[in-house]
Amino acid sequence: MSGKHKTPMLDELEKGPFPSFITEIKKARNSSAMPEMADDELGQLEKSYNSKRGYWKHGGIVGVLGYGSGVIGRYSSLPDEYPGVAHFHTYRINQPSGFFYTSKALKEICDIWDKYGSGLTNMHGSTGDLVLLGTTTENLETLFAEYSSRGWDLGGSGSAMRTPSCCVGQARCEWAMIDTMDICNTVTQHFQDELHRPAYPYKIKNKISGCACDCVAAIARADISVIGTWKGDIQINQAEVKKYADSGMDIQSDVIDWCPTECMSFDGSSITIDNSQCNRCMHCITRMTKALKPGKERGASILVGSKAPIVVGSLLSWVIVPFMKMESPYEEYIELLENMIEWWDDNAKPRERIGELIEVKGMRPFLEAIGVDPQPQQVYEPRKDPFFFWSESDFA
Amino acid sequence: MEQSELQDKIFAYLEKMKGKKKLKEKDIFKAIMAETGEDKATVKTALREMINVGRVMYSYGGGASSVEIPSEEYLKEKGLL
Repeated sequence: MSGKHKTPMLDELEKGPFPSFITEIKKARNSSAMPEMADDELGQLEKSYNSKRGYWKHGGIVGVLGYGSGVIGRYSSLPDEYPGVAHFHTYRINQPSGFFYTSKALKEICDIWDKYGSGLTNMHGSTGDLVLLGTTTENLETLFAEYSSRGWDLGGSGSAMRTPSCCVGQARCEWAMIDTMDICNTVTQHFQDELHRPAYPYKIKNKISGCACDCVAAIARADISVIGTWKGDIQINQAEVKKYADSGMDIQSDVIDWCPTECMSFDGSSITIDNSQCNRCMHCITRMTKALKPGKERGASILVGSKAPIVVGSLLSWVIVPFMKMESPYEEYIELLENMIEWWDDNAKPRERIGELIEVKGMRPFLEAIGVDPQPQQVYEPRKDPFFFWSESDFA
Repeated sequence: MEQSELQDKIFAYLEKMKGKKKLKEKDIFKAIMAETGEDKATVKTALREMINVGRVMYSYGGGASSVEIPSEEYLKEKGLL
């Protein structure tokens, strides 16, 4: 169908070399059983671009029976002008660990969505979920029944444990120090109630990366991050180092000079590493994949605290547990996760994230509550207070 | 106390607080435990049963979730009335 709205400003966004979301919304007008949704979405967006105002309202009671998460109510504030988007609810599907789908599964998801929604999707934005954009209240229960009968569950939203997410891990990556997909799936299954029934003071996110390259950006986006790391020395294959040098690689400027702790040196044919100074950032390993490999004892660092600047400023996570073995069924990690969440749930004000609460209450009560000893690795930045205050009894 | 009686007390509390405060599950547990002397697990089970059948529902606003009594209009939209 061609649209009923004139959209000269949006049409500009179809020009140029990059894929255009406007083109995709126009395509959805032809594929969805509810073409008026995509059409009125374009009309309302054009109006927003002209008036420089948003016309979306969100929130309220919208969801499927028994669940408080996974559906975000969204409404147009101009329902008479754009009736197709009078209801335009977001539906989050809990993605498979590592975002692996068969094409059959994707077709199944899209076919159902074309039947009951706008046809618009947002594959794995910052939440990690597979996000479906735009359906009505009356379609929600049927949509949920169709998806759940095929094994697709709702993801997290609101004041709940958000859908855990992870990088592709050992399925495709040689650097993954831990089985990120298995950890993600284990956490997801363990916290089903917390994921679907929002009972916390605010959101809490858990993301798992296989190494410090941190492909899911856990350190910046998750309240609790698991990042694969190793103990011991980086494995060096000096013959391969020489091959890199002989092939013309400028090892000094491309690798050695980039080491953040300056723990490496290169004498023209071999590399030496002072492993006691290495902070396991992965830079050298990613540049010289054949010559350098992580140490043999693998595990993860657990970091806490990052968040985007919603209530107060943004935070990056900092290390709480420098090294933890991550072996199935991950009891040690699950117990730590439960302890951290319990302390936060007991102490946080509404809309206060765990990182903010640690800044308010201090590191000492946090570490005592979760049963972790203070360690030098917990220092957030050099020469900054590690938030830990010793008492007389600590010196007795 | 019978579960239905406990659920009536939860419902009455939610009605009383309507428009005054957005209630989280924890707020309801605390109030009903204090009123009835029941433990948290019992109150939680009673509340969850009410949520399962749509007598009360989760709501969302300003980034945080709460528990509310749904409007008749919403229940009609959902086909529950």
